Amino acid sequence: MEPSVAHRVEQVLERVSAQAGTRVSILDLLEKVEAAIGYVPLESIPRLAQSLGVSEAQVAGVLSYYPDLHTQPTGRHVVRVCLGEACLANHGNRVLQAMCKHLQADVGETTSDGRCTVETVYCVGNCGVSPSVVIDEDLYGRVTPDRLPALLERYK
Amino acid sequence: MTRLYLSNDTSSHAAGAHRLAEALSARPEVQLVRTSARGAFFLEPIVERDALGGRMAWFNVAPDALPAIIAGQGGTPIQEIPFLARQSRHTFANFGITEPLALDEYQLRGGLKGLEAAVGMTPEAIIQELNVSRLRGRGGAAFPVWNKWEVARQTESAEKFVVANADEGDAGTYCDRMLMEGDPFRLIEGMLICARAIGATSGYIYCRQEYPAAARALEYAIHKAKEAELLEVDGEDFELTIVRGAGSYVCGEETALLESIEGRRGVVRSKPPYPAVAGLYAKPTIVSNVLTFATIPEILARGGAWHASMGTERSRGTVVLQIGGRVKQSGLVEIPFGLTLREALDRFGGGIASGARFKAVQVGGPLGSLFPESKLDIPICYDAFAEAGAILGHGGIVVYDQETDMIDLARHFMAFTADESCGKCTPCRIGSVRGREILERIQAGEGSAEALDLLKDLGETMKATSLCALGGRAPYPVLTAIEHFREEFQRRFTH
Ligand SMILES: Cc1cc2nc3c(=O)[nH]c(=O)nc-3n(C[C@H](O)[C@H](O)[C@H](O)COP(=O)(O)O)c2cc1C
Ligand code: FES
Repeated sequence: MEPSVAHRVEQVLERVSAQAGTRVSILDLLEKVEAAIGYVPLESIPRLAQSLGVSEAQVAGVLSYYPDLHTQPTGRHVVRVCLGEACLANHGNRVLQAMCKHLQADVGETTSDGRCTVETVYCVGNCGVSPSVVIDEDLYGRVTPDRLPALLERYK
Repeated sequence: MTRLYLSNDTSSHAAGAHRLAEALSARPEVQLVRTSARGAFFLEPIVERDALGGRMAWFNVAPDALPAIIAGQGGTPIQEIPFLARQSRHTFANFGITEPLALDEYQLRGGLKGLEAAVGMTPEAIIQELNVSRLRGRGGAAFPVWNKWEVARQTESAEKFVVANADEGDAGTYCDRMLMEGDPFRLIEGMLICARAIGATSGYIYCRQEYPAAARALEYAIHKAKEAELLEVDGEDFELTIVRGAGSYVCGEETALLESIEGRRGVVRSKPPYPAVAGLYAKPTIVSNVLTFATIPEILARGGAWHASMGTERSRGTVVLQIGGRVKQSGLVEIPFGLTLREALDRFGGGIASGARFKAVQVGGPLGSLFPESKLDIPICYDAFAEAGAILGHGGIVVYDQETDMIDLARHFMAFTADESCGKCTPCRIGSVRGREILERIQAGEGSAEALDLLKDLGETMKATSLCALGGRAPYPVLTAIEHFREEFQRRFTH
């Protein structure tokens, strides 16, 4: 693990141990690391396990179980196209195809310049104005393939 | 000073409300009030202003239309919109009207009356009122609410928990999200009533990762409720904590959800024991859906008999539908149980989107059945759906048009289950992978009549032997697709 990444893991652990009295679970801690660093480095598992007083296997098990926890750094932006049924019915799969084509990256891949990682998501509760696309924290509705270039323009 | 109302709901934002808010912030003559959403998403973004006898509304507003609105030109009285006027809003009565985080507004419109009533009642009397109301859980399984509460009340324990299931995993549904963002005190009030009835010491809200705005609204509402000294049960502090999910569908199943709150892999537990006896940290726990909790305050305020007076014989009260997919009018609909699916689609959905032709409608999320045109006269209530082997689930209704490829849709459902299976039981874990493979072979032109028979056998095995409803219900959309669109599958066979 790069020293800078290890340092950020330590920072998360410090912040967590400062919140005395609250029950911190494996999932809690992993979500905090993900939020701070953008992924959970596999090399940090021993340190996280030790801080929680659980086995490495337990931490690894939780990490591999939850789709929202990454084990690799993502691109600068994460682009998620919804494939829930309300979006599918409104032909959200065409949005996904156009997205992959426009960014030249498949689902799960990051563009070669490190700009965007493409992912799918299963419903973001925006079905009333579907199809939906989420870029980082921003949610877009009624997305059509031809809107994508303008939409992505904001994310460099 | 002109006062304008604009929804702060996530989907209103996504439809462009944020651009309107930006444009209006540059106009000192406008006072902008950010409300919850009406639920008429096909009209969003909606701008409203006060008028005699209600509000005037402007629909699908673009920033360049704002000057006319500020000048008061045009507009439609909100009560004249059929989509809204035909509904019976109770749990969603405040939507589009109040500021979600203003506790005083919540109280002005009848909020906290249910809790007040409950504080003056014994736990037994609260549970009896729910029994009279005949409320059934809105999360999917439709279990009588009073029954679970009674078990938890009677189970002796120094610690008991109330857990709101805010995982809202079914695609096509968002009523829980709207409640948390738009009327969070109603959820908190329902949880407090439950806590009093069972003698709970603390509570959790398990909110999915995809709902950041809901979590923020709840965080703030909990803070405000604490300041107002509402978070107390029998004179003791009642701690309420938000736990965030991490993208797993099966974590909406109540025992997997409890595992997840405890921080482990969200693997389903075998039942019994039921959570009401041994749930979170093995203590008696009520896990209920957000909508269920939000329905309870008004029942306590108006009496169980009031609630029982609406709906059908065995489905009392209102049903909250979220109509979407290829319809003209997508949005949230609260009506008494009993309308047929066809009536609901016509009256509220407004028919199929222009230029499209109806193919099928799915009710109840990814585990729900598909209905072709000929099966739409089914009444929307738990029993008619159970009899048809279908579910209402969380009220999601998704309409597919003629361009939908049924084989690809069936494959999507099996792939979904294969991805989301917690892995504990074999029928779900292995069955879903086999099912996906068979459908992929049909897609590749390698299908045959035997492949469909195999799928059917596989589906029956999954239904009969899976540990939870993920594996147990996953075959339904696939088998109903085959049942109603068999020819489409056969056309892909090569032999
Ligand atoms: C695979 C699966 C997913 C589920 N997802 C949810 C969900 O997202 N939200 C929910 O309230 N209930 C969900 N349930 C139902 C819960 O197990 C449980 O029945 C419900 O939370 C009880 O609340 P209620 O009594 O208010 O309906 C799910 C069940 C299964 C089998
Ligand atoms: S299905 Fe895409 S937002 Fe709900």
